Amino acid sequence: MNTSGVSLKVTGLFKKLRQTQALQGLDMTFESGLIHGIIGPEGAGKTTLLRHLMGLLHADRGEIQYRRQDGDISFSELRQNIAYMPQTQSLYPELSIHEHLEFFRTLYQLSDQDYAERRRALLQMSRLEEFTERLASELSGGMYKKLGLICSLLASPLVLLLDEPTNGVDPLSRRDFWQLLYDLQKSEDILILVTTSYMDEALKCQKVHLLFDGKTLLEGQPDAILQQKKCKSFDEVFLQYDALEESP
Amino acid sequence: MRLRSVWAVAKKEVFHIVRDPFTLALAMGMPVIMVIFFGYAIEFNMKQISLAVFDSSKSQSSRQLQKTFVSSSYFQSLAVLSPAEAIQALDEGRAHAALLIPPAYAENLRPRSESSVQILIDGADNSSAGSILGYLGGIQQKVLSAEFGPYSEPITVQTRFLFNSELNSRWFVVPGLSAAIIAILSILLTALTVAREWENGSMELLLSTPVRPVEIILGKLLPYSVMGLVAVFFVFIMSQIVFAVPFRGNFLVYLLACLIFLSTYLAQGLLISVVTRKQQLSMQMAMLSGLLPTILLSGFIFPVEHMPRFFYYLTMILPARWFISLSRDLFLKGASLQNILPGFLALCALFVLMMVLATRKFKKDVEP
Repeated sequence: MNTSGVSLKVTGLFKKLRQTQALQGLDMTFESGLIHGIIGPEGAGKTTLLRHLMGLLHADRGEIQYRRQDGDISFSELRQNIAYMPQTQSLYPELSIHEHLEFFRTLYQLSDQDYAERRRALLQMSRLEEFTERLASELSGGMYKKLGLICSLLASPLVLLLDEPTNGVDPLSRRDFWQLLYDLQKSEDILILVTTSYMDEALKCQKVHLLFDGKTLLEGQPDAILQQKKCKSFDEVFLQYDALEESP
Repeated sequence: MRLRSVWAVAKKEVFHIVRDPFTLALAMGMPVIMVIFFGYAIEFNMKQISLAVFDSSKSQSSRQLQKTFVSSSYFQSLAVLSPAEAIQALDEGRAHAALLIPPAYAENLRPRSESSVQILIDGADNSSAGSILGYLGGIQQKVLSAEFGPYSEPITVQTRFLFNSELNSRWFVVPGLSAAIIAILSILLTALTVAREWENGSMELLLSTPVRPVEIILGKLLPYSVMGLVAVFFVFIMSQIVFAVPFRGNFLVYLLACLIFLSTYLAQGLLISVVTRKQQLSMQMAMLSGLLPTILLSGFIFPVEHMPRFFYYLTMILPARWFISLSRDLFLKGASLQNILPGFLALCALFVLMMVLATRKFKKDVEP
């Protein structure tokens, strides 16, 4: 396996979902080895973007490029190395943590040795070792999200797409979850893409992309954006745009 | 296709079935309940029909007439004092039929003369009325031979029922029971299974892994086919031990027919699930396109041959119609594979059609 990371480039993405124009010419770039935050209110097009990146939706217009150091690759070439954690609770309530790992391990076709190592490392990192026999339906919100995360990490992906992973999770578990992402970033060459509607989480990312009405408002390092906009928080940044929209 | 992935999906589905009380109860309890309901409750042959009798003849012949009715064990007499009371008994449902014997009944009962009695039948329930009417012919013959001796009629019709000599309703119903049970287990449960994955979002996760649609489909169908087969065996054993229905055909042919029929319904359930993606809607569609036609339009209870032309031809696209008819042929007539070949081919064709539709409609993305 090529260990060099993957970066993504999205150009002029348009998508109409039923009556709604979900994406209206979206441009974004994501660099390998960073945690990217896609920040925006409900309905901005965050989930739609991730689904496009994951090949679950097909754009009406525009292009997505998956890049390695030695050039562009197709989505099917990346298939084994891209993982996705949907926003909705998508695990199986009647399966235990152990059974989830076994299930996804088979789907990702991991060898016994790879699986054993990976499983041990992920359980340790997520501190779920003691609960492997517990059913998903009996997990707390934070543990459930962590289980979703380690399932998607089983195949050691180079690109990880997380759709509102901390939605509905208590503040302590949220901090815990972010710590997990930092640990992951330290140990692996991975591009992590996180969508969130919590504005405070923007500061936790290394690069943020502000999304509004299917278009990119701003991109850059969080501190730089706040400085440039002379705001204290990302709430204020969005409020500025809201005000602009409302004024004639 | 990788068998390990199929197996993993199947195993996960088994966990779901075993750990979800609703699915488990439906899978285990339904066949038992259906066998009890359909095996015992459906009875086309009426016995002990309450017959209001107004006898104004009060003669030996009129008593003989009443005796013939009662001794057939189909009727139970209820003496009334006037024709009006007889009608009242019909109104109140205390009687299903009334026998009115005129005063001159006995006098007119001699050769080259005509004697008549009046029978009133409650026509509101037309299936009972039909049965009662059927019994009357036999009773008339008995009365004639009792009054005038066995050679009173120049021609007598000797009827013998082949394949089900006593016209036992159970022999008619039980061979079709597997169809009804398979309809519930396979269509309903498979219709729910894929829709559930769409509804709770796990399909999105599944599609983001390298698993292929055909692996998901086969893995999901496997546990339900095993469950369906277990139900088929259960019904078969019940049919032999409890209902003592003869099985005169080849068991392997029967098993093969069950397997094809089961697979067709699994594919239909899958198709519903894949198209609707909603459990509630899937359930309704499964009821409407699977369960109801299987019970009402397949010949399970009402013979297809007597349906209006349109419905008669409509039944041809129902797998259950073919399966029930060949199941009865195997049970009661001991038909060979050659006898039932048309039904067999029709089932196979429907299976292929459903399967092709279901796999083609299965989406690999989340496009609306």
